[in-house]
Amino acid sequence: MDLNYSPEDRAFRAEVRRWLEANVPKDELTTLEARKAWHRRLYEAGYVGMLWPKAYGGWGATPMQQAIVQDEMARIGAPPPINGLGIGFIGPTIIVHGTDWQKQRYLKKMLTAEEIWCQLYSEPNAGSDLASLKTRAEDQGDHFLVNGQKIWTSSGPIADWGILLARSDPKVAKHKGIACFLLHMRQPGVEVRPLRQITGHALFSEVFMTNARAETRDLIGRLDQGWAIAQTTLGYERGANSLGRVTRYAIAFHQLVRAAKELRRGGRPLLEDPVVRAKLGRAWAELEVQRYAGLRVLSALNKGEPPGAASSITKLSYTEFEKRYYETALEILGPWGQLMASREEFEEVDTSSGEPGTWATAFLWARAGTIYSGSSEIQKNIIGERVLGLPKEVRADRLKA
Amino acid sequence: MDFAFSPDQRLLRDSARAFLDQHVTPATLRPLWDDPRGESEATWKEMAQLGWLGLALPEAYGGSALGMVETAILLDELGRAAYPGPYLPTMLAAAALEAAGGEAQRTRWLPAIATGEARASLALLDADLDWRPEAAATRAEKTATGFALTGTKRFVPWAHVANVLLVPAQAPEGLTLFCVDPAASGVTLAPAQTMDPGTRWSSVTLARAPVAADAVLGAPGQAGPLLAALLRRGAVAAAAEMLGAARRCLDLAVGYAKVREQFGQPIGSFQAIRHKCAEMLLEVENSHAAVYYAAWALDARADDHEIAASIAKAYVGDAARKVCGEAIQVHGGIGFTWEYDLHIYFKRAKALEAQYGDGDYHRELIVRRVAA
Repeated sequence: MDLNYSPEDRAFRAEVRRWLEANVPKDELTTLEARKAWHRRLYEAGYVGMLWPKAYGGWGATPMQQAIVQDEMARIGAPPPINGLGIGFIGPTIIVHGTDWQKQRYLKKMLTAEEIWCQLYSEPNAGSDLASLKTRAEDQGDHFLVNGQKIWTSSGPIADWGILLARSDPKVAKHKGIACFLLHMRQPGVEVRPLRQITGHALFSEVFMTNARAETRDLIGRLDQGWAIAQTTLGYERGANSLGRVTRYAIAFHQLVRAAKELRRGGRPLLEDPVVRAKLGRAWAELEVQRYAGLRVLSALNKGEPPGAASSITKLSYTEFEKRYYETALEILGPWGQLMASREEFEEVDTSSGEPGTWATAFLWARAGTIYSGSSEIQKNIIGERVLGLPKEVRADRLKA
Repeated sequence: MDFAFSPDQRLLRDSARAFLDQHVTPATLRPLWDDPRGESEATWKEMAQLGWLGLALPEAYGGSALGMVETAILLDELGRAAYPGPYLPTMLAAAALEAAGGEAQRTRWLPAIATGEARASLALLDADLDWRPEAAATRAEKTATGFALTGTKRFVPWAHVANVLLVPAQAPEGLTLFCVDPAASGVTLAPAQTMDPGTRWSSVTLARAPVAADAVLGAPGQAGPLLAALLRRGAVAAAAEMLGAARRCLDLAVGYAKVREQFGQPIGSFQAIRHKCAEMLLEVENSHAAVYYAAWALDARADDHEIAASIAKAYVGDAARKVCGEAIQVHGGIGFTWEYDLHIYFKRAKALEAQYGDGDYHRELIVRRVAA
């Protein structure tokens, strides 16, 4: 057990810091073009697609190096790269399950953000029970005809391509009749309607597919393999952001302390109130424990150990922490914490800065974490069954199957 | 960066677990509840032979010169076994003797501790139960031969079996740490009856108790930093032991949830139970990270070792209470019985929560460091 960073990792961190200090854009990136240009620079510097094999345009870096880059970006407040879903989940899926043609056609443009990707999984009636999805894909010989509706699609309005789960065979057991496609979003049969979230922003969307066309060459794996492919995708790359995430919480914490020095109640700064101090002490302890646990996961990943079902513990831990954390912040800040900075609907807000007006957005955003990518309840099912070995529940759909 | 135990550390954990699974079981520790000493002399001697009592002591005094990580590994296992005895306070007192003692004091006590001939404890709390070292209210007056100590120390763990007590007191020079013989005149021990029969606390009353001039540990008036460091070490040690208790309760709960049937199914198949068990595992895993991060930070003198110790104690105190308590809930009525073993670990975790600075104390330390 040795929690010192290696000399190589320390040198790498110093190098990343120097590069970011010299290159981070001074002004806010307000257009998609500007964000793509920044993404491209990050990619060329070796800071995007770090874990991808070099053969596919990646950098073959270590998980620790990737975590260090994310950490340094958080520290300096650098705008994040885009296409996170593509690079984190969809690209690796293509690398593992895709054909050579698919790899040649899609991967490089994904890495450079020349093409933006979204994920077409959830449906209005298939959320936690994703395998009950109803979107159909009918074989037409040289292509498939896709009909159905997807929902909660992040980056939908800006996406060029999507990874799609659709039912290829309605007659077999629900997990078996699902296929996985790459779907072109810029076609007449695909309509994207932005959905406004509780934050007021519209960063996700509904996607309606009416006789949309999925090319046969864009089928990933076999027609009955979609569910298995989606399962391998879901656990990929957890832990990469473990340091950066906590650094963002810490930056917000120091802003909270600053506010608690300035705001007064009962004739003294909030920071002198023992109740406030107890809340701050608990919040910092929990925040640091997230960092320690993140280091533990990272050290295992760095040795090539697969995270497996334990990544469910990480996800459950930080998303539930984040809710408690921002709840505590808003308790301390009182009505000040509820002020919101006005922003464009499609603009992402850096909720970690702790600047006035961002607390409310962070507080609201925290509700999303315990729902997306498998809700807390689904994570607990996975932990119970696959880590603790508790018996599977008796489920109506399993009884039927 | 490697958060995993080394092969040697794994060996220590595995051999400790194997020994404790055989020798420190509910069947062997229940009879000790009615024993005035409350600990097994035979187990203590075996722990000495296994090298546990000198684990972190220098080799020159019969120790193995290992660190806080190894000590935490052992305490983790001792907590899992709900071992009743003075291991933690003796280890802590030995660390104080090693850090601040003169050669005569070290030679007198450290080899005896390593071989199991001596036990030791620290009397850190005065009557008003304030964990801040500077809050010590016991007074040390100068006499012709040394000092006379007057005051009341509360909740001193395993004082009744200790051969030496380390007692902080306010001397004319300032806060000073003294080695006190618990059998000396003017020293009165009053064992307390507490919730956990495997934890023994005594009140120690000092009525002009004479202490020789050479019984001062370190320089008179300079004990503050030493006591703060001991409290940190004690906090991480207690956190490690609470973690072990929580691990045991999680294992018992999961094991029970797999076999106990209601409504025609194992109760572990119900989400109400399964989700509870998943939350318990989450707390155990986070506590593991907190304990071993802090233990490593103490060994490595990392920049954040002070706050890491407070974080471990504050976090694991809450987590272990929750995990052990939820284990009782998962079991239902059987978990509330004296015959079932769960309460042993539940009570131990609770006893340790109140030792070496409770959660409130450590959260205040955290805020002082991070919100200065």
